[in-house]
Amino acid sequence: MNARRRVDSRMWWLLVRTILAWIGYLFLLLPSLVIIPISFGGGKELTFPPTSFSLDLFRQFFNDPGWWGTAVQSTIVAVLTTLIALLVGLPATYAFARAKFRGSKLLELLAMSPMLVPVIVLGLGMYIHLAALQMVNTTFGVVMAHSVIVIPFMIVSVTSGLRHIDPSLETVALLMGASRFRIYMEVVLPQIRTSVIVGALFAFLISFDEIVVAYFITGPESTTLPVKMYSAIRWEISPVLAAVSTLLTILSLVVCLAIMALQPQESQST
Amino acid sequence: MMHTLNTRTVVVLLTPLLVLLLAFFLWPLGLVGWTSIYDNGLTFSGYERVASSTLIHRVMGNTLEVSVLATITSLVLGYAIAMHLARMSPRRRGPYLVMVMLPFWTSILVKSFAFTIVLGNAGVVNQFLDWLSGGAWHVEMMFNRVGVIVGMTNYLLPFMVLPILASLQNQNRNLHFAAEIMGAGPVRIFTKITLPLSLPGVFAGCLMCLTLSLGMYITPALLGGRQDMMLANLIDFYTRQTLDWTLASAIAIVLLVFSGLLILMMLRAQNNQEAVR
Repeated sequence: MNARRRVDSRMWWLLVRTILAWIGYLFLLLPSLVIIPISFGGGKELTFPPTSFSLDLFRQFFNDPGWWGTAVQSTIVAVLTTLIALLVGLPATYAFARAKFRGSKLLELLAMSPMLVPVIVLGLGMYIHLAALQMVNTTFGVVMAHSVIVIPFMIVSVTSGLRHIDPSLETVALLMGASRFRIYMEVVLPQIRTSVIVGALFAFLISFDEIVVAYFITGPESTTLPVKMYSAIRWEISPVLAAVSTLLTILSLVVCLAIMALQPQESQST
Repeated sequence: MMHTLNTRTVVVLLTPLLVLLLAFFLWPLGLVGWTSIYDNGLTFSGYERVASSTLIHRVMGNTLEVSVLATITSLVLGYAIAMHLARMSPRRRGPYLVMVMLPFWTSILVKSFAFTIVLGNAGVVNQFLDWLSGGAWHVEMMFNRVGVIVGMTNYLLPFMVLPILASLQNQNRNLHFAAEIMGAGPVRIFTKITLPLSLPGVFAGCLMCLTLSLGMYITPALLGGRQDMMLANLIDFYTRQTLDWTLASAIAIVLLVFSGLLILMMLRAQNNQEAVR
């Protein structure tokens, strides 16, 4: 009798837990599950479920320079941001990992803090800063702001790679007369390749999708795709938005799968 | 032998980072601080208005209320997902983790736009309710608090799942088996073992979600109504609409201090945990 009741309550508990978890999964996927079918529906009205299949909305996107032009601008910004994040992040993480000096903890915290500061505050600050320099509405301004935003992700990713490699190889290379630069390029970098790629993917996607700061500091000549999308959602709700959303979701999916595929290899190697 | 770099190399390696952070992070933040107290002369009018304006107080109340509610809904759903994930073999977990991580990487604009279609008056949910009740049920979910909380929960969930999952995976399963053998029911095992042991993860997740929601800008702007304005929207409003940079900066500094306090709590909690280990 007692045992029966226990089995019952266990079944109930399992049921409640599982249902709640699946509500969670469904809720997480809901936006993508709705937006992707709609984008293939075509037509003037967005309906779910779509009644017909067409690539009309995608055609509209690629025929309108106002849309694909901003996608090109976003790509340029994201590529430049990734390059700067690599150029700044790689040397810095190496210094953090291989040197003990006063204030290194503080400096690391400083380098991580762009992740913790509310983006809106950074956006306002960049706006006032660039306004004083008369550089609002420039690609340079957006790239610099995005570099600051992505640097913590680059540092986290590369640092975890450096933690897994053996410094004595570098010592050996040094004893054999290799220069510091050569050691980094030929001994260190090949070993941390995957973490560097993961860091670069993080940087690219975060910059490509960033909206708040970009909204503050871009103008007609430097509008990125998210900024264009934001004003389109606010003012017109054009059906093209569904196609843009699907394209962005595919980009996220590719990057997400790439990162997940790269990361396990790394943990195996430890 | 520990491989270390000499001072000169370290300086060379760190200079680019320092220049970037000084010129495009610390300097802009400093400017916000400066603008909040300087407008053709030293002034505290920004902070005085923050202290006295009923609009700003109401927005602060909104921000706090929405943040707390969104964190609570994220906690309930996030905990269920984390428990579900924690019990799987690592092999099976892969595809489920993609379900959690993909939304994490999806642009917040895409999610907000999708929710305008899901929650709108002629949206998916209302169509379904319509069909279910023959036209009797209709729920307003856009441009009000429901929309903001649904949108924010969707954004926050991954940040809640990951720390809780980590602390669930650290638990010793033998404790559960022992409790079971001693005759504890599943609910009792949950409230006496699983939940208390996962509190550090819950705490970390909640603080993370609160910090993120305090500065939320896009979701309230797109899914909320006028009365759901949050601090970030107010900063934008004063910067762009009324060009009152002094007041905008003062509000930004207040927001920065609030989130700074939450982050300090988070760091201290982490340190305590490490000290316990």
